[in-house]
Amino acid sequence: MISNRRHILTLVLLLGVSAGWNMFAGPKEDQTTPNQSGGAVSTDSYRGLSGEELWSNNCLRCHNIRPPTMYSDAQWDVIVHHMRLRANITGQEQRAIVEFLKSAK
Amino acid sequence: MKIHRCYPAAIIQAALLTLVSAHAQDTTTDGYVTRKEYDELKAELLAMKKELDALKKERAAAPKRESSESNAVVSTSPKQEGPEDQLVSDSHKDVTPTLARPFAESPNSLLGTTKFLLAGWAEGMFEARNGQVSTFSASFNPIFLWELTPKLLFDSRLEIEPSGGGTNVNLVNAQLSYLLNDYIALGVGEFFSPSNVFVERFEPQWINKLPDRPIGVYHGVLPNISVGAQVRGGFPIGPTRANYAFYVSNGPVLNTFDARTAGTLDFNSYTDNNDNKAVGGRVGFLPIPGVEVGYGFETSKPGFQGTPFHDLQALVQSVDLEVTRDSDLLKGRINLFAQYAWSHVDHAVYDPDGTLGFGPLPLTAKRDGGYAELAYRPTKLDIDLLRNLELIFRWDHLSRDPSGLGDPEETRWTLGLDFWLSPSTVVKAAYEWDNPNGEPNKNALLLQAAMGF
Repeated sequence: MISNRRHILTLVLLLGVSAGWNMFAGPKEDQTTPNQSGGAVSTDSYRGLSGEELWSNNCLRCHNIRPPTMYSDAQWDVIVHHMRLRANITGQEQRAIVEFLKSAK
Repeated sequence: MKIHRCYPAAIIQAALLTLVSAHAQDTTTDGYVTRKEYDELKAELLAMKKELDALKKERAAAPKRESSESNAVVSTSPKQEGPEDQLVSDSHKDVTPTLARPFAESPNSLLGTTKFLLAGWAEGMFEARNGQVSTFSASFNPIFLWELTPKLLFDSRLEIEPSGGGTNVNLVNAQLSYLLNDYIALGVGEFFSPSNVFVERFEPQWINKLPDRPIGVYHGVLPNISVGAQVRGGFPIGPTRANYAFYVSNGPVLNTFDARTAGTLDFNSYTDNNDNKAVGGRVGFLPIPGVEVGYGFETSKPGFQGTPFHDLQALVQSVDLEVTRDSDLLKGRINLFAQYAWSHVDHAVYDPDGTLGFGPLPLTAKRDGGYAELAYRPTKLDIDLLRNLELIFRWDHLSRDPSGLGDPEETRWTLGLDFWLSPSTVVKAAYEWDNPNGEPNKNALLLQAAMGF
């Protein structure tokens, strides 16, 4: 019981420190700029990949990618939000992928 | 006399004038309205004006009535405005602009700001397994997604399938999640266990490349679903990327009543059996795009409260690997998925006094299992037919039950061929060589059609 509580406390402490650090850092939305492919490049996204590359890399890791025209803009918002949670991508990458999907239609 | 003679002439003249005037009022040919028409039009106009005034009054009274009805909850009798009323009035002023804002912010969203999506998949399958009756099966797996705000999402999946004489409906997961910032998401509810990569990422049958699922991750070595709370996210580390997911959950239940399953962990019991909570998680690392390695764990005290097993410690660990590469040399895409898990439960004596008929059974319960799957699809070939084919090979394994009295060790080899009708519609055929130790083979032919939507 004590051991379990210690685990939970450690987890909560780590979460608090991490959340605090990240909240102070804040999202870097102003670092997103469009690129030639119509996607978005972010300086803190993985290796500075465009929205199109992030879409391709992250989605293809698990399943075939579906064409951008398959869903409406609002539906892509929900789908990529859901997939962000499943694939553990960052908020910056989520926004770049959504931006690409909407612009590619 | 002269005057008297003038009377009939005046009367006749007046009569004639009256007649002419009357005739002129009744019928005009010069385009002007008659008095009668004028009076009728005026009457109609007045009636319409009255009707319009009445409608205006009714419309103006509606919000007041609603307001007074809602205010009636706060104040049941008219009274002089006091300090409290002033507060209510002030707070109303604060709320009013806030209420107007969502419409201003999303002019294109006439249906509201909440986004809902019904996704999921459906599948039909035929299985002919040696030693068993061949059978068709089917399932429908709707996924409900509600994005209440850009930070708040609720997702839930049902599994609906025919069974016996009826239909089984299972709630697979139901989770409310909140995006704290770019790198942290919080979730609470029933969610896929992060350490079980297959369940979390590959389980939908339009994603799983083979008709069935690996035994190593489904039969008690790894948790499938957890009920609790989790924190997860991803972040860049220089040119690489890492991700994490940690959770607290009810945890598994230790099987103690049956010799065949003694010492195994039951991960399908979603209500807790003690005050101890399981703690688990997974960390993943992506050195380059398309390659991820991960380590997962879950530690718990799975024994029932108030029994000799209550203090036993269980630890499950796993490692996983995912590789996705497009190859010009092979003219296609290669996927390699692998995971291996092992569990340990502290030493205990099961059925110590023999009342259950199989004890005393001293046991340190250890199990392990896993799978490796390699797939190739010639996506760079020019021939459509070949480009839509995918060849899959899988090895999966599960050790015997810890007591040695339950299921034997099992190793399977599966070869499959998929034909993709669309990015999320697939027809699969596979043959599985399944040879449990010391038992007749359970080789199987598996056919399946699946569609994701």
